[in-house]
Amino acid sequence: MKLSEDDIYRTSTQFNHWSFTTQQLAAQRLKTNMQATERVKANVARQRAQRLQQAESDSLSSGVENGSGANTPLPDRSSDVKEVDCLTAEEELMIVDEFCERALALGAHCQFPTEVTASCVQFLRRFYLYNSPMTYHGQNISRTAMFLACKTENAHQSVETFATNFSKTTAEQILAPEYVIVQGLRFQFDVKHPFRGLKGGHLELVEMARGSYEGPNNIEDGMTSADLQARMLTLPRKAHEPSAKTSMQDMEKRLTSAYGFASHILKNAALLTDAYFLYTPSHIWLSSHLLADEPLTLFYLSIKLPSHSPLYIKLLSTLRSCAALLSSHRTFNAQRSPDVDAKHKARVKQLIEKLKSCRDPDKVDLVKLNQAQKRDAVEGEGGFDESKAKRRKVERETYQKESDNFWGPELPKA
Amino acid sequence: MASPVVLSPRPNPPGAKVDPVAARSKALAILASSNKATRSPAVAPAASTPKDGDLDLAEQMNDDVRRQFVSGKRLGEGTYAIVYAGHYRHNPDALVAIKKIKFNAEFKDGIAMDAIREIKFLSELTHPNIIKLHAVFSTKDQNLSLVLEHLPLGDLEGLWKNRKLTYSGADIKAWANMLCQAIWFCHENYVLHRDIKGNNLLIAADGTVKLADFGLARSFADPGRPMTSNVITRFYRPPELLYGCYHYGGAVDMWSVGCVIAELAIRNFFLASETDIGQLATICDHFGTPTEENWPSVSTLRYYVAPSQQPGIQKGSTAAKMGKPASWWRGTFPLLGEDGVDLIRGMLAMDPKKRLTAKQALEHRYWTALPRPTKKEKLPKDAGGEAKAAEDLKRKGGETPANGRADKVARKLDFASMG
Ligand SMILES: Nc1ncnc2c1ncn2[C@@H]1O[C@H](COP(=O)(O)OP(=O)(O)O)[C@@H](O)[C@H]1O
Repeated sequence: MKLSEDDIYRTSTQFNHWSFTTQQLAAQRLKTNMQATERVKANVARQRAQRLQQAESDSLSSGVENGSGANTPLPDRSSDVKEVDCLTAEEELMIVDEFCERALALGAHCQFPTEVTASCVQFLRRFYLYNSPMTYHGQNISRTAMFLACKTENAHQSVETFATNFSKTTAEQILAPEYVIVQGLRFQFDVKHPFRGLKGGHLELVEMARGSYEGPNNIEDGMTSADLQARMLTLPRKAHEPSAKTSMQDMEKRLTSAYGFASHILKNAALLTDAYFLYTPSHIWLSSHLLADEPLTLFYLSIKLPSHSPLYIKLLSTLRSCAALLSSHRTFNAQRSPDVDAKHKARVKQLIEKLKSCRDPDKVDLVKLNQAQKRDAVEGEGGFDESKAKRRKVERETYQKESDNFWGPELPKA
Repeated sequence: MASPVVLSPRPNPPGAKVDPVAARSKALAILASSNKATRSPAVAPAASTPKDGDLDLAEQMNDDVRRQFVSGKRLGEGTYAIVYAGHYRHNPDALVAIKKIKFNAEFKDGIAMDAIREIKFLSELTHPNIIKLHAVFSTKDQNLSLVLEHLPLGDLEGLWKNRKLTYSGADIKAWANMLCQAIWFCHENYVLHRDIKGNNLLIAADGTVKLADFGLARSFADPGRPMTSNVITRFYRPPELLYGCYHYGGAVDMWSVGCVIAELAIRNFFLASETDIGQLATICDHFGTPTEENWPSVSTLRYYVAPSQQPGIQKGSTAAKMGKPASWWRGTFPLLGEDGVDLIRGMLAMDPKKRLTAKQALEHRYWTALPRPTKKEKLPKDAGGEAKAAEDLKRKGGETPANGRADKVARKLDFASMG
């Protein structure tokens, strides 16, 4: 009578709603990018038209230029206004990655528990799978995602206290996108992390090293815990090296350092890549451990699964591909070259600059947007879409009427 | 998507002649400094949601979910939500309960913690003895609604309170077992419920008991990370929490489970007091005063006072209570039998380390000993489930009856700091 980590994972929302193949991820990101691009362009065009109209009315009312005959056709506006240069899906992902990295830094700065920061980063990655950073800016969303993660991971603090972590940020700004985010997360707040799994695996390895492991083993029938220990103490130091005798003390040190390195991967590369979308928490911690110490990890696996079983072979190949993903991340290598970092920084800076000119103008001020939505709700209480549509229509008509009052009714066509 | 404004341009003002370059640069300047308040009333509608067809994907999905359900009459009101009867739009026979989170003016931190917790845990827990969460949606006024399984036959507290209803030891065994299954499943999923009590155990139309109200739940903490001790309604709160313990596990829920089973057997509240101090005294009356001997390290808990240190105690004597003798237990719980008494005493061990775990409880001989638990479909049903809902309705807002659920402080204070 015991549920395995796997049983729990298979019924989780993470598995059922937030697990994908690489192809699915790429397709979804492309779709999100295309929809957002279309919308940004339409909304920018609409706002430009409005501003232009406004500018015209301004100059009209100021009476400075008033002359050269009625109905002078205006120059065609659309042709000489530059098209908005939107982000590509790939650029969007780089920007999301950047805000995920900033969230890690923020979490460290605020000394939040690991789970808070880790959940925040996953919230961001989930949210931006269906939303574009052109629509919702990473700066706004990541602050609020962190606030939400504090709530979901039992580290709640008041929004006022939370807001003091940022300069020039009000409680209202933190709260404004909360509904946008929880909707984008489809009200799923649970993130299954690999931390607990890694800790459990590490403790088992320590037991094995001390000769006190009592769990099942798949190496050989009738192996005692002392036999396992003896076997472990002759493991090669590195992959593809011959076996080497180790003392128990040295083995424990080795385990500690493997655990440390694997933790580092879990707290960085695992969060900053698509690992959570593509792999299970067990895959992720085992892959990290594999990267940290391959012989130890293979030994551990051979105890858990018969090493010639198809399952073992399949698992190992999954772990290797997950490990490849994790080790491909910039943060994987502790002594990474400053050159790579500088290049990366420059590229990100350029993209953030580019983002400034392709944001969805309707979603820039989330505080105001949030107020407007609440106002909509109060006014439109009761009915559903009909009333909303009707009210919008009235709004449009009022707007039209105001402009008519201003300019006089449309002139009959000549 | 094109906006309506673009599609229906306003008339060109007669005689207007603008420098298109100047106008454009102005427009772009406004666009760039978009955080500034828009200065023109004509632009204001654009700041509101632009167009119905222009909903975010997430908004669309939310609307789709919302449209699947029809909400009906009010079923009852709890501390943080109002519950309505409802059904699937496509199938009026598929009943649900729609729990609409109340707007809480005191809580200024956005979405309420109760709602976050309840949604977070119920989304993950799928078990026949845990209430099913069908869906979640938000309404326009930015309130969350939880679409829950409809459980029309009241709750376990209502059962024992209903004097018109008679039931047997076999019935209690069936109810108790469903409760233990539920809590076992929570703990296997690393979830602490932290508010187990009779009226959070609802009953489905077919008699199945379902654990509900996960508003105080949380995951097991990492060792060393403190948790608030201010959880669990007082009558069901274990001694370690009353002593202010910051580190605890599934054992806190098991104490509550023991209390609920005991209540079913005596058809009354089992350990009831109006204050925390009084609650501890009641517990000690029944189980004896804890000491370092019978509960190692109890003296390290914040609010623990050794018997010899208690006020009003003469030098040399102790205030240690002995607890009730075995004969008292047998005499008080005839419906449980020897095995049942052994089970609840195992759940009600003062020292949480000695308390039965959910797994151990399920392995207890009580379940296999005679009488066999009653089959679900044969369990007595509380026809008064509906009546109770009406009674709940009468009781407005924050008012709670003096008995049972009086202790809502726990929930309120819990907002404060630790989870
Ligand atoms: N799933 C459900 N099916 C039917 N009725 C329900 C359901 N959930 C709650 N109710 C009714 O609504 C009332 C309030 O529920 P809840 O908010 O959970 O209250 P409380 O805070 O008292 O636990 C309950 O007493 C019950 O009558």
